[in-house]
Amino acid sequence: MRWKSVDRRGGLRDGTVKTPIAPIIGGIGKGLCCQFVCRQRRDPLRRGVSIILWALAIVFAESILTSSLLTGSPLTGSLSASEIASVDQAVTRINALLARGWERDGVTPARVSGDSEFCRRIWLDLAGVAPPVAEVRSFLLDARPHKREELIDRLLRSSMHARHMAGRWNDILLPDDLGPQSRANVIELNRWLRTQFSDNIPYDHLVGRFLTAGGDGNSGPAIFYTAHSLAPEKIASATSRIFLGLQLQCAQCHDHPFDRWTQDEFWSYAAFFGQLESRQDRRSRTTLVIDRPGREVHFPDSDRVMQPRYPGIKQRPDKDPADNRRRQLTIWLASRDNPYFARAAVNRAWGHLFARGIVDPVDAMDADNPASHPELLAYLADYFVDIRFDLRLLYATLARTNAYQLTSIASNTKNAPAYTFATMRPKTLTPQQYYDSLVQNVLRQSLDSDNSDSAMRNVQREQFLSRMRAGSGSPDQYPHGIVQALGLLNGPEIGMATTGQNGLLVAIEAPFLSDRDRIETLFLATLSRLPTQQEFDQCLQMIDATMKDDSSADRNATERKSSDWQSSDRDLSNRGAAVSNQKAAALGDILWALLNTAECAVSP
Amino acid sequence: MNNRQVFDRRDWMRLAAGTACGVATSPLSSVLANAAKQSGRHCVLLWMSGGPSQIDTFDMKPGHVNGGTIKPISTAVPGIAWSEHLPRLAKEAKSIAVIRGMSTKEGDHERGTVLMRTGHVPGGAVVYPSMGASLSKSLTDSLGTEPLSLPSYVSISPGPFSRSATGPGFLGPKHAAMLVAAAGQQNDNPGQDAVQGFAQLRVDFMRRSMEVDSGRYRSRIQFWQQMQADFLKDRPNANVVAHDTVYQSAIRMMESEASEAFDLDAEPDSVRESYGRDSFGQGCLMARRLIERGVSMIEVNLGNGLGWDTHADNFTQVRRLSEQLDNGWSALMSELRDRGLLERTTIVWAGEFGRTPKINNNGGRDHFPQAFSCVLAGGGIAGGQVYGATSQDGSEVTDGKMDQQDLLATLCQALGVNPSTEHMADGGRPIRIAEGDVIDELLS
Repeated sequence: MRWKSVDRRGGLRDGTVKTPIAPIIGGIGKGLCCQFVCRQRRDPLRRGVSIILWALAIVFAESILTSSLLTGSPLTGSLSASEIASVDQAVTRINALLARGWERDGVTPARVSGDSEFCRRIWLDLAGVAPPVAEVRSFLLDARPHKREELIDRLLRSSMHARHMAGRWNDILLPDDLGPQSRANVIELNRWLRTQFSDNIPYDHLVGRFLTAGGDGNSGPAIFYTAHSLAPEKIASATSRIFLGLQLQCAQCHDHPFDRWTQDEFWSYAAFFGQLESRQDRRSRTTLVIDRPGREVHFPDSDRVMQPRYPGIKQRPDKDPADNRRRQLTIWLASRDNPYFARAAVNRAWGHLFARGIVDPVDAMDADNPASHPELLAYLADYFVDIRFDLRLLYATLARTNAYQLTSIASNTKNAPAYTFATMRPKTLTPQQYYDSLVQNVLRQSLDSDNSDSAMRNVQREQFLSRMRAGSGSPDQYPHGIVQALGLLNGPEIGMATTGQNGLLVAIEAPFLSDRDRIETLFLATLSRLPTQQEFDQCLQMIDATMKDDSSADRNATERKSSDWQSSDRDLSNRGAAVSNQKAAALGDILWALLNTAECAVSP
Repeated sequence: MNNRQVFDRRDWMRLAAGTACGVATSPLSSVLANAAKQSGRHCVLLWMSGGPSQIDTFDMKPGHVNGGTIKPISTAVPGIAWSEHLPRLAKEAKSIAVIRGMSTKEGDHERGTVLMRTGHVPGGAVVYPSMGASLSKSLTDSLGTEPLSLPSYVSISPGPFSRSATGPGFLGPKHAAMLVAAAGQQNDNPGQDAVQGFAQLRVDFMRRSMEVDSGRYRSRIQFWQQMQADFLKDRPNANVVAHDTVYQSAIRMMESEASEAFDLDAEPDSVRESYGRDSFGQGCLMARRLIERGVSMIEVNLGNGLGWDTHADNFTQVRRLSEQLDNGWSALMSELRDRGLLERTTIVWAGEFGRTPKINNNGGRDHFPQAFSCVLAGGGIAGGQVYGATSQDGSEVTDGKMDQQDLLATLCQALGVNPSTEHMADGGRPIRIAEGDVIDELLS
């Protein structure tokens, strides 16, 4: 099998791999496992078999055991012909609008990213985790011209994507510090969001459902209201910020000094949320939100009843027949009369993929904060309406643009300001992305929270997230301090991953792997790329240094070169040698360093 | 202007330590101690988790049926008396101002803790930083020098609500407290096992894993440095650079002499003994060592879990806790004074609320936010006084009523931090550290 791949510096590597399937299968019978049996006290057989399966997956790029959550539909034909046509048209238009900006600003766009850079980026952006080792390997081996588009569409259809979007929106919707809120309610919201995203509910419907949710069996969004104390003014500022991109809240106390919002407009908008009440559901122990028509919102320190009015719209709407104000607001939100809704949505999606919005920050789209590309923003908003608020299609479009393909390596683009999008910018991983990638690729556990032993894992995940909680920072900042860095350097998560009796380190002990395979696997699992020659040599030196005390006999039995792969007639007893403790420690050291690099902490 | 001079002097001294004196004899810690003496201000929050009983500590009601069994003793200041179980502290009364008129509206542990520590009720749109985070930020900002090799905010044996209470809120995780956990609480009762050693305080994640020897650690760091340098060359973006800066500081701290601040074994046993063997006493000793090395904000928690939550058997428990409090606090004050650091260090004693004047059927007292006591001491405080008063039965404030915001504003002023200093919340909204009234009578 000949294979070629492009490493991150654009150099070409190639190698010849002879597939040693037959000797391995033979080897299992011949007591290849006996090395493990000797070394392991607990359940050696299962361990041995699982090592071999993992190692097979790692080496031969067969997605035998890739995450159970990645239940994608077939690789091709995921978009209909008409969808492809409209996506292509939009991509061409976006490319042209950005290119015009580059010309105007006199910047040269960065070159196109390498395959491993793109693979890591699209996985983290759409699936919320770094790609599994086998996925990177097969993506690098794939020679078909449309593999990027296929990967985009496959990820958008995976349940990983729904999970990731639910997590993102969970953070967007709920305040940074929930205070004494019931955990059950947070889980309920997450589950609710996941269903919406996995069914690809159009965004306008999704927001509509969210804003009118209430009553039995629809308790997911309730925590949004209770976390904002059911207070009309708090819900008003949160909803306008999140769904309209407007910072109305300053107008809560005074007329906005830089913008057109008046205190009057703020409280008229708040009046849409004046009728809320919460109730406890006895059975599910979650909170429900219900509407009580007849309640009114008053202007602060006065008896003046505020009539509900949409922000920025002079005319007062007709009264809803049933006085169901949340429903009334929802109908307007998604209508063509609303100049903010689609604009805010596409800007947020753009900010998600490009680390900064066309208007930035994405939730401050007020008059004093102009767009970098007004025409592009207007075009995208119209396009989103045209494709009926189909979020997946929007993401499929944005991820296909030239700008999204660009590398984040700064070379000739040093002077390109961020707002030109002439180069990609590395995005700091959220604590969730970092942790989930660690779990999937290094600890090699399932991310599926319905798993039987998920309770303990959820506790560990929560502990990590609570230590690393970063608030709503921008992805082009690094929000953490010394305390968090110490937690990563010396804390339990990376400690467990790098000294572990489980996971990646055990898998790469498989005797038919060469040290080159092992080092490559560590790089792929953490940085989603192959090592450069220099990095590879450095790693070999680290292994050699720790092996110095080893006796030469032991060394001969355990040390093998990558050329072994070409000598298929080599004696099996030699191939079946185990990794010494010293070598295992050195591999752990390499893994530890990789997990703590800036490269591992960002999406390129 | 003064700051400027100090800055130059510190730089010079650091330079001298680095070049002239050489490594072997470099008195790094004394350089730091000098620096702390001359420039920074410090704050120590003695946090009484569970809500301490004011009537059995600083606002006694002898002769009243609510008074209970604990007797008052006189202090170094004529006319001021407090609990008989705080005898060593009584000698420090000249540097102490007792506030008897605290009154808030939160009688729930978690909400009360957040209120007292941030100045605001939890659950609003803005996540307020704990006072520790905003004060350490302001105190460090005012130094105008590069960060020391220690974090500026340390919380020792934090209580059960530490996440919301020590959280940096909108200031961001950079300003979070470094946590020091008490390992094993068996020594918290010195009466029972006085023969045992001292309470062990463990800094979270300060030391590398035991399994990794120094050789392996060096090789890890060496490889890591190379990887960082290569990646930074390709991507000198703000977040990548910041990642490297933060990590380099953390690694420097792990390797630095300043981290010896956390090593209490370096103290003679007699000194350790004088603070008390329990985790609060040892925490106070660590606070002194941290102040000597320039750390601006330290919290020491007393009452593992909710120790002061004395719904039953109040008097025995308060006695035990008061003895721990008395040792740690008084030793801290006298040692800081000996080193000329007390005038630069302001000490706050507080809990989430007080306890009911009425004694319940279990010989306990329940939650009571309406009228309780806090204490300020040390630098910037006009000691030797009682401010505010409660009624004879202790049920209401009759004079000098203060809430959490007034306390916070007064504390800021005592530390030389303008309470109206604004920090930016998300969305560029400026928010003041404290909005309450500064009580001038409490300030020196």
